[in-house]
Amino acid sequence: MSLNAKWVVIAVLSLFFLVALLLVGYRETLKHRAEEEPKAVVTGLNDGCVTCHRQHSAALVMQWEASRHAKIGIGCVECHQAKESEVDAWKHEGVWIASLVTPLDCSRCHQKEYEEFSRSHHARAGEIISSLDNVLALKIAGLPDNPADAVNGCWQCHGSIVKFKRDAQGQIERVGPEHKPVIDFTTWPNSGIGRLNPDGSKGSCHACHSRHEFQAKLSRSPENCGKCHMGPDHPQIEIYNESKHGIAFYANRAQMALDKNGSWILGKDYAAAPTCATCHISGFVTPTGEVQGNSHDVGERISWTLRPIVSTKLNLVRFDDGTQDDFPDTRALPDIGATVDTTEYVVENDQLVAKTVPRKVAKVMTWKDRRESMKGVCLNCHNHTYVDNFYQQYDSLVTLYNDKFAVPSKSIMDELTKEGLLNPKSPFGENLQWTFYELWHHEGRRARHGASMQGPDYTHWHGMYEVSKHFYTKFLPEVAELAERRGHGDEWKAKIAALLAKDEHVWKQGMTPEEAKALQRAYEQRYEEKTK
Amino acid sequence: MTTGSGLSSRVQRFFAEAIPLDWDALRTVGAEPVPYHLASWWWCLGGTPLYLFVVQVATGILLTFYYVPDPSGAYESVLKITQEVRFGWYLRSLHKWSANLMIVAVFLHMLRVFFTGAYRRPRQLNWCIGCGLLGCTLGFGFTGYSLIYEQLSFWGATVATNLVEALPLVGPPAALLMRGGAEVSGNTLTRFFVFHIGLLPTVMFALLVAHIVLIRLHGVTELEFRGKRVPASERTFPFWPHHASTELLIGVLLMFVLTVLALAAPAELGPKANPAVTPEHIQPEWYFFFSFRLLKLTSLKTSVYLTAALGAGMFLWPFLEEMLHRRLRMPRDVSVALGVLAFLGFLILTVWESWAG
Repeated sequence: MSLNAKWVVIAVLSLFFLVALLLVGYRETLKHRAEEEPKAVVTGLNDGCVTCHRQHSAALVMQWEASRHAKIGIGCVECHQAKESEVDAWKHEGVWIASLVTPLDCSRCHQKEYEEFSRSHHARAGEIISSLDNVLALKIAGLPDNPADAVNGCWQCHGSIVKFKRDAQGQIERVGPEHKPVIDFTTWPNSGIGRLNPDGSKGSCHACHSRHEFQAKLSRSPENCGKCHMGPDHPQIEIYNESKHGIAFYANRAQMALDKNGSWILGKDYAAAPTCATCHISGFVTPTGEVQGNSHDVGERISWTLRPIVSTKLNLVRFDDGTQDDFPDTRALPDIGATVDTTEYVVENDQLVAKTVPRKVAKVMTWKDRRESMKGVCLNCHNHTYVDNFYQQYDSLVTLYNDKFAVPSKSIMDELTKEGLLNPKSPFGENLQWTFYELWHHEGRRARHGASMQGPDYTHWHGMYEVSKHFYTKFLPEVAELAERRGHGDEWKAKIAALLAKDEHVWKQGMTPEEAKALQRAYEQRYEEKTK
Repeated sequence: MTTGSGLSSRVQRFFAEAIPLDWDALRTVGAEPVPYHLASWWWCLGGTPLYLFVVQVATGILLTFYYVPDPSGAYESVLKITQEVRFGWYLRSLHKWSANLMIVAVFLHMLRVFFTGAYRRPRQLNWCIGCGLLGCTLGFGFTGYSLIYEQLSFWGATVATNLVEALPLVGPPAALLMRGGAEVSGNTLTRFFVFHIGLLPTVMFALLVAHIVLIRLHGVTELEFRGKRVPASERTFPFWPHHASTELLIGVLLMFVLTVLALAAPAELGPKANPAVTPEHIQPEWYFFFSFRLLKLTSLKTSVYLTAALGAGMFLWPFLEEMLHRRLRMPRDVSVALGVLAFLGFLILTVWESWAG
């Protein structure tokens, strides 16, 4: 090669090298652009808020800056804006705002989620205010002027009626140069999921999507639900932790795509394990490849109610105004188009009031439809036989609890009340009432929830074992003791004897010689000890 | 010496005064005649590893700015270089690919030197120095790969130091020196780092200087090609600009190739080293495949002894050949046959391991 030709080749190669270097630079730019978090967009509307609150509540602003809202310019005013006519509105730095952001405020952008949530069990959690649980906290554990147990306990999950302090004329008290309304401390702060808001809306998006960062990973994580779904009466998080699902989740948390923006679809975005959100809220892939589910109506896929004394299958009736009611399978289903009287709880004068509202039936989902919807989730990982057999196992446990313990004990309590041996106005006046309450509300629920979520220990030792033990050793003796005390001892002894003579209770009379021998042999082999 | 009054003349005059060297003599050295066969591309492989070495030094210095030579931070620092540091992935890829190409270039250069008999008297010592440079190059590759502290490199280091330990006499103390203990640990990482950026570059630089000085003192071997008569006027050509431009061309080509390789196959990073978990599949870098396959085919001792004997044979071959030729009248062409056999053996074992490994 001549010298000149070599110089030409060197020039051409240098050009190639330069192009390659440009590609290196391009890749570097792409890499860092992908890594760079989009910055918070502070619009003119929010500039004043952000500037001032960066001084006074710096972490709050930082949380917002890290949110997806901030990246698209959704700031303080978009959520906190209020009309002058709103009860909790006040003019802050020249802008009408409300401290409380309700689901109705969120619905300005999230209409679908608002509608789904508003008809859900979650939105109605505040109606507990009219239940036995509230009596326990307000009356039994509380003082007439100190509802602290309900305030700090029940309402922090179920939600409070958000109230304002009022003067003698009933006007809302306001403080400071900006006339900020004074919220009753017993009702706020409150992030209960069924909060009853001053604007009439029910619930709190913040319960699952903690402000001001609104991280998706929080609401997708089981711990988020575990704030409330735990404890002696509904230990869902403990059961989940015990289950194969929970074990798979904690071992594979990093593979769960919990931080993914947008939709979070089982079978598409993740597969390692289901969380609470997976089964009860989120979307999933069907065998035909479609995406289904993804509804904030949290109870839609539930086919049993495990909360009452006696469990029933649950049908669902949706009305033409978007509201809905659960219809136990013991209640006849209405026809589409029929008008049904429904009960609606509303806040009037800071009190929860039940009202009868006639509504027109728009859609009916039977318990089987709801179960099929849940099975759609299960079938992402399990086959039909597996899922169907699981449901048979689960159904059989609920039926066992119902038939052997719930129905007989409830009928005894009803009869005692009817005969005037129990005072219905004093639900916790007798030991028997406490025992019965715990039998279904704590132990019975643990057994049923344990079976529903594959928690063997909660089904048996924390559940059916406790139910059985207390039914025989506390409930029935206390029924006999009460009847004796009220002069009906012989009558109730006979009734109890008749109950215990039934096949399912006959074990109390002792085992057959063959059964006793087999048990003795098993103990000898296992523990090398003799049974007495 | 220039006497003009222009700017370039004034600059030249400044340097001539500031550095009182015999510039005319230097110009003569730069224009030294080079044998005509160097005009062929195949005779430019000696400069290639030198060039790649310079790339290694430059990228290595930049990587050392970020690398943490400690087991608790080594892997993380490499991860940071790869993912966070500006152009870190490019630097690491250049370093990795130039190391691999350097080993290929050294192999090719040695093959050319061997098969053209350029190692023979009076250049035996330079052949030995060249073998030392090969050893340094492989040492660089081995220690550098271990510094990444990923699972495969950690266990690769474990296997390699076990091989060294099996060497007779020097093996156990050499392995102890390398590992800083009975097994690969945090001490090993520190030592490999010192070898990689301190000891090996110093030795390599000294050997390179000796290698080039000897080449210049001996002059490049002038080859005779059968049936080719070259007139005396065409038997040489000047180093500058003819050969220098060839080397520059190769240099630019190499930078282009390295950049394309970095773009197409950037340096990756496996899982972090875990001394408690032995991976199911362990394999060293490709240039040790032949030795690893030998290990699988024979026993630990046999393979180590065989590799050591072959290495020693290669190192001493100029002297062995001379001795065999004088005492046993061995024809010199036998060297070519042995060289072909050895190279084919190396090639077969390497390909075998890469396919079946």
